[in-house]
Amino acid sequence: MNCAQTRELLNAYIDGELPPDEAMAVSEHLTTCAECSRIYEELLTTVRTLREGLTKYRAPDLLRARVRSALREEERPVVSSATPRVRRGVRMPWRALAAAAILVVASSGITFVATRERPSAEASASEEVLTSHIRSLMPAHLTDVASNDQHNVKPWFNGRLDFSPAVPRLEDQGFPLLGGRVDYVRERPVAVVVYGRRQHIINAFSWPAEGSDEPVQPQEARHGYNMLHWRSGGVEHWVTSDLNAAELRQFVGLLQSVR
Amino acid sequence: VSDSALESFERIVVPLLDDAYTLARHLMRDEHDAQDVVQEAYLRAWRHYGSFHGGDARPWLLAIVRNCGYTWRRGTRVQRESVSYVDDQHGIGDESHRATDAAAIASSDRAELRDALDQLAPEHREAIVLRELEGLSYKEIAAVTGTPIGTVMSRLSRARQRLQEALGLGARAKEGGR
Repeated sequence: MNCAQTRELLNAYIDGELPPDEAMAVSEHLTTCAECSRIYEELLTTVRTLREGLTKYRAPDLLRARVRSALREEERPVVSSATPRVRRGVRMPWRALAAAAILVVASSGITFVATRERPSAEASASEEVLTSHIRSLMPAHLTDVASNDQHNVKPWFNGRLDFSPAVPRLEDQGFPLLGGRVDYVRERPVAVVVYGRRQHIINAFSWPAEGSDEPVQPQEARHGYNMLHWRSGGVEHWVTSDLNAAELRQFVGLLQSVR
Repeated sequence: VSDSALESFERIVVPLLDDAYTLARHLMRDEHDAQDVVQEAYLRAWRHYGSFHGGDARPWLLAIVRNCGYTWRRGTRVQRESVSYVDDQHGIGDESHRATDAAAIASSDRAELRDALDQLAPEHREAIVLRELEGLSYKEIAAVTGTPIGTVMSRLSRARQRLQEALGLGARAKEGGR
């Protein structure tokens, strides 16, 4: 095999797309020709650089939710917009969605732990918080009051809850307020204050709770979501998002510092 | 449509969302366009799920994503010549949104790589994404793009050469000639 023929086949050689006899011929030529060998090494470096350096994206949560929601609508033309009917005879049950999410997470190489044992109170709270977070990503379920003004969001909770959640303004720190909603967790209504971070959604849950203060505790990342829990001054706090752990921790720090 | 068809779709096609988004994102060069394209592609894939006869679902799905991408472009006549992104500050450096683990590669290098890729003609760009990121074989790329294998080979070869020169990875590029 001569130089021109070899160089013609170098890409296919690197990609393992040559039949054995041709691959052998290229390989033999490369051991004897310094110039072709140099070109081969350069091409190999290029291919490696591309494979390692090009960006493999993870689909954002909102897209995941949109796809699921679109599939559901396709499946059931009439969808109630008032409440998500997640526990009834829907054809795409949340259990299956969770399974799909696990597969997605597993395929993207992120570790997670599926808890099979009977959940403790905390595990059960985290389960419900996560379900609420995922449900909130469905169209029209994120906020009951959509506003970036804390003076709209905070009063909105009055009369809807038996306590008043903190609604700090964190826009200057890069976490704009998106709104709030009341959700149902641990068999009681809870406050959810919603913040954004770039294209990520952060749900900050709070409700009054018995028990002594607990420091901020990162929970096991589940289904690709990070989650933090703490208790202070008789208020239970859960924060969850697909935002990376470091920035979510930063967010929690801000949340605590303004209280 | 039976439950089992949707369950099978969820088991086989939904977990490929990251792959679909990666292709769309590089093809469209815009995160919002990419999301619209992927959503449309998934609906189309679901409607035509009956035509999927087993085997590897990835090339099948990626072909749909690709076609949706091109249709979307034609439909909206959006021509994005610019490679400046509103999301420049997070697309690349955002850990949670990329699954590659080569942490050693600085984000500036990643940005340079992405910019170089964005400069390529669409047929060269898709060849690179399908091969280097999606890991498809030549035969699968040919099926996804509807081109002969010989064309796949020459596009890939030319695309890599352009990137090598743009990134200054080869001696020939450094010497300024080829």
